[in-house]
Amino acid sequence: MTKLNSELKPNKAVGDRLPLIDGIEKVSGKADYTADLDPRGALVGLILRSPYAHADITKLDISEALALPGVAAVITGDDCCAPFGILPISENEFPLVKDKVRYRGDAVAAVAAVDMRTAKKALDLIKLEVNELPAYFTAEEAMAANATLIHDDRTGNFERKISDEFGNAEKGFAQADLVREESYHCNEVTHAHMEPHAALAEYDVERDRLTLQSVTQVPYYVHLMLTQCMSMDSSKIRVIKPFVGGGFGARTETLNFEIIACLLARAAGAKVRMKLTREETFLTHRGRQETTIKLKMGLSKAGKILACHATVIQRGGAYGGYGTITSLYSGALLHAIYDIPNIKYDGFRVYSNTPACGAMRGHGTVNIRFAFESLLNSMAEDIGLDAFEVRRENLLPDKFETLNGLKALSYGLPECLDWVEKASGWNKKYKKLPKNKGIGIGCSHFVSGAGKTVHWTGEPAATIIIKLDFDGGITVFTGAADIGQGSSTIVTQLVAEVLGCDYGRIRVIANDSAITPKDNGSYSSRVTVMVGNATVDAANKLKDILLEAAAGKFQCAVADVECLGEAYQMKDRPDTALPFQNILDVALIGSGTISVKGTYFVPREYQGTGKHRGAAVGSSPGYSYGVSAAEVTVDEDTGMITVDNIWVAHDCGRAINPLSVEGQIQGGVWMGMAQALSEETRYHDGLHLNPNFIDYRFPTIVESPHIEIKIIEPGDANGPYGAKEASEGALSSIVAAIASAVKDATGVEITETPITPDRLLDAMDKQARKLHKQGKR
Amino acid sequence: MEFLPDFDVKRPLTIVEAVAMAAMKNTCFLAGGTDLMPNLRRGVGNPKTLVDLSAIAEMTEINETDSGLCIGGGVTLQQLIANPQIQRDFNVVMEAAETIAGTTHRYTATVGGNLCLDTRCQYYNQSEWWRSANDYCLKHKGNICHVAPKGNICRAAFSGDLAPAMLIHEAQVELISTEGRRVVNLDDMYQEDGANSLTLKQGELLASVTLSKLDGYQTAYKKMRVRGGVDFPLAGVAMAVRGSEDNLEDMRIALTGTNSRPIRLEGTDALKGKPLDEAGLKALGKLVFAQVMPMRSTFTPAAYRRKVAINMVRRLALNLLCQAYSKR
Repeated sequence: MTKLNSELKPNKAVGDRLPLIDGIEKVSGKADYTADLDPRGALVGLILRSPYAHADITKLDISEALALPGVAAVITGDDCCAPFGILPISENEFPLVKDKVRYRGDAVAAVAAVDMRTAKKALDLIKLEVNELPAYFTAEEAMAANATLIHDDRTGNFERKISDEFGNAEKGFAQADLVREESYHCNEVTHAHMEPHAALAEYDVERDRLTLQSVTQVPYYVHLMLTQCMSMDSSKIRVIKPFVGGGFGARTETLNFEIIACLLARAAGAKVRMKLTREETFLTHRGRQETTIKLKMGLSKAGKILACHATVIQRGGAYGGYGTITSLYSGALLHAIYDIPNIKYDGFRVYSNTPACGAMRGHGTVNIRFAFESLLNSMAEDIGLDAFEVRRENLLPDKFETLNGLKALSYGLPECLDWVEKASGWNKKYKKLPKNKGIGIGCSHFVSGAGKTVHWTGEPAATIIIKLDFDGGITVFTGAADIGQGSSTIVTQLVAEVLGCDYGRIRVIANDSAITPKDNGSYSSRVTVMVGNATVDAANKLKDILLEAAAGKFQCAVADVECLGEAYQMKDRPDTALPFQNILDVALIGSGTISVKGTYFVPREYQGTGKHRGAAVGSSPGYSYGVSAAEVTVDEDTGMITVDNIWVAHDCGRAINPLSVEGQIQGGVWMGMAQALSEETRYHDGLHLNPNFIDYRFPTIVESPHIEIKIIEPGDANGPYGAKEASEGALSSIVAAIASAVKDATGVEITETPITPDRLLDAMDKQARKLHKQGKR
Repeated sequence: MEFLPDFDVKRPLTIVEAVAMAAMKNTCFLAGGTDLMPNLRRGVGNPKTLVDLSAIAEMTEINETDSGLCIGGGVTLQQLIANPQIQRDFNVVMEAAETIAGTTHRYTATVGGNLCLDTRCQYYNQSEWWRSANDYCLKHKGNICHVAPKGNICRAAFSGDLAPAMLIHEAQVELISTEGRRVVNLDDMYQEDGANSLTLKQGELLASVTLSKLDGYQTAYKKMRVRGGVDFPLAGVAMAVRGSEDNLEDMRIALTGTNSRPIRLEGTDALKGKPLDEAGLKALGKLVFAQVMPMRSTFTPAAYRRKVAINMVRRLALNLLCQAYSKR
């Protein structure tokens, strides 16, 4: 018998700063991303993209391209009869357009050929003739009366108009001591994930089977859409997600190239590889929409927010995508951060002839939060209140239900405020820093997974399977997509925590529809809570089996068995300890391979009330909270803003892996800083002006400020070991914090993002001229 | 991955071989390739042959001359930055080199490549699909300049950082072709035409550049860009001054990023022998205002780039005079 270390203790994995379990492959270059997969025998797939912004197709002739030697397939909109889209209510996109193009870059036809050269030549041989239509590049133009419809069934070019009121905003404004209304404008941003889009599709002609490997965040959605667009039995489709280099929401929806690769593979009866260029990756987009916000707020003298009314116009791009949900999120998450008795929201999601927008980190909440926090800071100043104090006047209780029916069991905002106020030295700095230096704050929140899935089926929100076999290896099967955020690491830690065993025993097999259980994927920060809860459920079931086996061996009651992780013993009887493997051997007798399934259902009351249209959006088992302070220096000659310091406190319930949580928060800081300072997509008559990493200016490591992070852990009964969301929550607060710091530094209030040097210098000049004029009077 | 057209690569060992190879049409030199290769992938140009200069040992030397330094065209930016003579006597050149692109680029990109950098424009540095969808432009395949549609000249911006710094040091370039060798002022290697900003002849190679030392001057380079790495200049200012705030003895200024060529600011002689006071700074600003000509070649507004060029010139002048004073 193996001699056991008498010091043996269960592995306390929750709270462990475990390096990401797939980190070694990534940093050593061993990880195979989709574009690295074995290309042997694969044809090259290319897409012909529309040079027109809005046009009816009058002729599309592919005959010459088809006749070119080396071309295996040429497909058009005729090769797919079903549309796709993330929302069942707005599936209005075809992988290749039918009859009409809606933005410059829209996919018109596709070619599979023996090599890149031939495929390119074939694209040049396709003849496209069109009848151009008026094109709209701003929401304002598209909403104008008599504008040509981008989609025939969407009157006025609206995807969705929302008008919700909880309480009575007008009444609230009437009671307020100070009412202000301001306009804010956020330019469009995109995810800029490091890995460009790619797909490898293989069609097995003999068996009519399809295998797709792609860069997706949600393999399950891709599976669904392939079933629909390929008119295939879903059992014949297999979707695999290899290593993925970031997503940030871009890959939540099924993307057209994934379906195109499969259509080409079937048409050619072969394997087809598509590697989109960076430009094509930008054009595929699904980023954060250009947004115009009109925000009205009423405050009492004491700083209580009595009412707010937000009017939000989003330029959604050429297709529906996530649009309706994005727009609903902007309204729903006006709630659940502060206690506001009267909230009115008017949302307009508008079509335009630009690439389609979609979900992006902080989905639907970042722009409105920038506006809200900016206005709150500004009004607090008007009324002579401190920015922290005004927020303390408006706190929710620890457990709450909002006017729009969002419920939660934890609320760490007060602790976040306390820490940031102290750590940043706020009281010594605000309004007291030297010229051109300033400090500002912002708060934000986000869901820990959408309470209700987009494709409601009645199935659990998450399912995990764990296998334990003769070798003692614990294999966890999950459909949750690790796209760099570390979900497989969290799954590993939760299994280790429940079983107390060493990490070395645990392997995670993820994202192969033929092997792993269905999962709703990585979006809305759902995985830690939902997949985490399912993992804990499965691991507990496995533990029960092992405890029972041990009880049999020890001939005692299950309750008298103590699990030490790598060994089991009778309670307080170290002399009885037996290694894990011995207990496993007993458990396998008469049963063989052990397999358990864990599930998680979101409790009904956390799925929204269903009392108003779109009530499910914003509902979640829990909300994360973030508070950040930014300290900046402004160069008055150039308008350049340097972010010197960021302090950020984030309530993630409980940090299962603090190292990973800190990484996520840092990423959120950079993304927020990017939107605040330098990132924006630009169009020239609908042509994307900066589809590359030189002109689309995300911050580099040079711009990274000193970031001080505090993880706040109130624990949430709905999360595994109390965990909630980490990363999306803090992101939104950064934008307003920086804008407010710029105001503290310069006296200039900037209401447009990004605050590029030219915008700031213009605003500073304008203010100087105004002051000069006033001085003269 | 974007499509790379077919071409042959030749790798000569000497300048003589290189210029012989490059004398044929549809040939171009390949130095570090950090700018050329992305352009080729985007379908700008379709050379049959690339003459790779990386094996030419004689182009990688840095040698002291009687009055300065002779730098081979093939010297990498990193080698330039690390060179003790550059660090000692040519601060403005070192500062400019340090701002170019990203760290890894500088290990590949060369002095010759940066001096001969293709001009840049938001309507030009785009894919073939993009430019075709936009009816091309004057600089490549098209008939119109989208920056200034009413004009008949390309307004792409010169965006090299080394050129202004070297203009301050009276740089001369050694140009070699099959027709022989000539030495011209760096200033004369450029012209105000975005589509043809270099006056080099087909197959002419920038073999080296010679800089003259500036004794008693304070020099510096300041570059406006949105990010502290990677970005090309929205405006860049190289400057050398001698004297003090009370008495400006001499001043040399060159700018980049604002015109289709690097420019030497003219008219600063009028400021000499006087204090650089408010009136002096105003006059200096007026000179910049009149001579820089930023256009809509990038989406950062032209008016801003002009304003910032003026502000940077003024600030830099004061800073350098201050430094000069403190060194006395």
